[in-house]
Amino acid sequence: MEKLTSPYKWGMVVDLDRCTGCGACVVACQAENNVAICGKQEIAEGRNMHWLRIERFWVGEYPDVRVRFLPVLCQHCKDAPCEPVCPVYASYHNPDGLNGQVYNRCVGTRYCGNNCPYAVRVFNFYDHEHAWPSPLNNQLSPDITVRSRGVMEKCSFCIQRIRRAKEDAKVEGRTIRDGEVQTACAQTCPADALVFGNIADPESRVARLSRSPRRFRLLEGLGTHPSIYYLKGGGREHV
Amino acid sequence: MSEPTPVAKSAGQLNDEMLSSMRPPTWRWHVLAFALGAVVAWGLAAFAYQVMTGMNVTGKNRPVMWGFYITSFVFWVGLSHSGTMVSAILRLSQANWRRPILRAAEAMTVFSITVAGLFPLIHLGRNWVVHYFLPYPNQRGLWPNFRSALLWDVTAITTYLIGSSLFLYLGMLPDLALARDRSDGWRRKLYGALAMGWRGSAHEWMVYHKASTLMAALIIPVAVSVHSIVAWDFAVTVVPGWHSTIFPPYFVIGAITSGVAAVISLMIVIRKAFHLEDYLTPLHFDNMGKLLLVICLLWSYAYFVDVNITWYAHEPIEWEVFSFMTDKYTPLLLLMLFGNSVLPITVLCFKKLRRNIGLMLAVSLLINVCMFIERYLIIVPSLSHKNMPFIWHEYAPSWVEMSIAVAAFAGFALLYALFAKFFPIMAVTDVREFEVRKAEVPLGRAKLPVVAGEE
Amino acid sequence: METLGIFEDIETAGRAVDSLVKAGFSESEITSLTSVAYPDGVLVKTDGRTWFRWLALAGGIAGACAGILLAVGTAWVYPVQTGDKPIITYYPTGIVTFELAMLFAMIGTIAGMFLDMGLPPRNKRPYDQSISEGHIGISVSTTSGGESSRANEIMKAAGALWISAEETL
Repeated sequence: MEKLTSPYKWGMVVDLDRCTGCGACVVACQAENNVAICGKQEIAEGRNMHWLRIERFWVGEYPDVRVRFLPVLCQHCKDAPCEPVCPVYASYHNPDGLNGQVYNRCVGTRYCGNNCPYAVRVFNFYDHEHAWPSPLNNQLSPDITVRSRGVMEKCSFCIQRIRRAKEDAKVEGRTIRDGEVQTACAQTCPADALVFGNIADPESRVARLSRSPRRFRLLEGLGTHPSIYYLKGGGREHV
Repeated sequence: MSEPTPVAKSAGQLNDEMLSSMRPPTWRWHVLAFALGAVVAWGLAAFAYQVMTGMNVTGKNRPVMWGFYITSFVFWVGLSHSGTMVSAILRLSQANWRRPILRAAEAMTVFSITVAGLFPLIHLGRNWVVHYFLPYPNQRGLWPNFRSALLWDVTAITTYLIGSSLFLYLGMLPDLALARDRSDGWRRKLYGALAMGWRGSAHEWMVYHKASTLMAALIIPVAVSVHSIVAWDFAVTVVPGWHSTIFPPYFVIGAITSGVAAVISLMIVIRKAFHLEDYLTPLHFDNMGKLLLVICLLWSYAYFVDVNITWYAHEPIEWEVFSFMTDKYTPLLLLMLFGNSVLPITVLCFKKLRRNIGLMLAVSLLINVCMFIERYLIIVPSLSHKNMPFIWHEYAPSWVEMSIAVAAFAGFALLYALFAKFFPIMAVTDVREFEVRKAEVPLGRAKLPVVAGEE
Repeated sequence: METLGIFEDIETAGRAVDSLVKAGFSESEITSLTSVAYPDGVLVKTDGRTWFRWLALAGGIAGACAGILLAVGTAWVYPVQTGDKPIITYYPTGIVTFELAMLFAMIGTIAGMFLDMGLPPRNKRPYDQSISEGHIGISVSTTSGGESSRANEIMKAAGALWISAEETL
């Protein structure tokens, strides 16, 4: 039984000092990954399908109110609590350091959703498969499935883009270059707050940013070892 | 003992009375079975609606992804500890007052665990691929994940279901022979096949007693492990309020509380329905009441420990979960503490109250209501207020979940009513064994009752 | 062949067994048929030995092997990384092994019990329904018709209500 290894360890840096809370990343993720469009009703019920959410916190009293934004997406934890609890191996750890979700294996026990401390896993309570009336279904990406009801899903670090880049690199006999793979959210962010890349490569942009003194990780005390570093500080709180 | 010695009954008369439940059903039984069947059918319809529409018909959301179904699951697994624990412990300790209670308790276990085993199938998002849980060779070479606590559940519930069914069957073996001898037609064939040609020879009895003792000794660790495994579904997570090492013993104690109370309730119902007043006397309720008192004290202790640790360490997220629970669910919490601790402990201390059958029925039913609430208060508040405050959300069960929960009770009652009609609901042979072995021996100025037995 | 005498109560049945033993029948040829168990020696003495517990033990061992095959074997055959946990783990293996060992031990107990009792029987043996209503049956195994008749006479003399000749179970 050999342990599979990989030269890649995908990670991300989220610079909170740059994030404006515009939400473009949320829209990009939805467009790239065939995430269902939920209406007001579903969201009010607590059943939104956003793979990436912008948490908004108000700080201070009027008139000195400020707002803080925190984009939260699947942290792709090294010691992911969601993985060992899946009874059918639908949630597992990839040699690339990704937390994988296998939609067609998922039986829908929702144990992984309970055990994720970041609550980034979303469950298809509704049948979104048939919620793309023609001609809207033309916008669906063919690289990724549309999930049926009863299945858990979450951010995959745009694994279809990583796969495509790996195939291209293999054809050319090289490894993936830094910046070649962009997740949809990182690609779209106008403030360049999201940076994605191979943390195992110490020269990559994401690896250098992840060594910043401003860095912290979410819920670090739980020992999940997330792959996403947040940067915050730099003196003045941003407005 | 202060009761006057009843006039000794003949074996035939004892048989007649204890097997009275197997007489042809009255119109009342038919009405009951029909009503229960209707409730079960309604539950099945609700379930079918859920399978066709999707899990949105439940009240679940993110982050509360487990709600009423898992509450019911834990509750029914807890209830299944009734029979086997009571029966096995009392058998091994050779307490004579166990004899009329055994069969009802053992049957309760089998039907509770059957109902409990349905809930993991009901709560799945994709019930139609539930076979992925089973370890069968397939062309993809995939196996289920035994590191998951849910797979331990599958193993444990299968083991307990088969084990408790065998235990029930074993206990019934001589009674099945009795039923075979007293019936004819298709019943005689059925009981004859089940009795496997039992004649009651000395060798058969000797092997039987040894096997019963061994089974009782084997089933107790299984029962403890089953509910520990269900507790581990919660305790091995990182969810605040769930990740507590007291959960396995706490759940096992809760299960025994639930189970003993349910056995008492059921005994009272059977006693009334089948006119078994001579066999289930106030003495039995007195002793079961003492057992219930001990276990309620243990439950109170476990709950006290759990809350004390949460309060003292005051870990922010754990305290948040606990405060949320006490704020939002105050009436339920108070009812639970009253019904599980305050009321039983005060009432069950008094012999006169323990022997009051109406009061015992009220106390035992209230305990089970409160145990259901207790499971709910463990599961839902912890999920509602998990680690990331931005997605905190509340939960309320929908009509589908409530229908299925009620249908589970009806299904259990229906199974029980059918069982009582076709199989001996009292451990006839055990009771008669006691009757033939007891005698009165003059000692000094008094005559004392003794029971003859082996060392 | 077996012959079965039916007695009203335990005392007459006991006297009959005494007479049979005095007349030369050995304890192992005589057995009682009762609807409730009596302590050993009240009517007949059994040798008190059983072997079904070996089958229970064998079941336990088989179950433990099955548990290890499932928890360790299946994980080893198709290793999938979950969390930071090893592929082969102690606690889950222990749990699954324990459960299956107990399951197979319980099945072994029941199966062994029936085999030890010799049930279901290969040929029919004499039985009487009045035993269920409280009567005591004393059954004597003999090798010849002459021995049977002798046993019947001794039992009748000791107070048997009747001799049951049918082989019904």
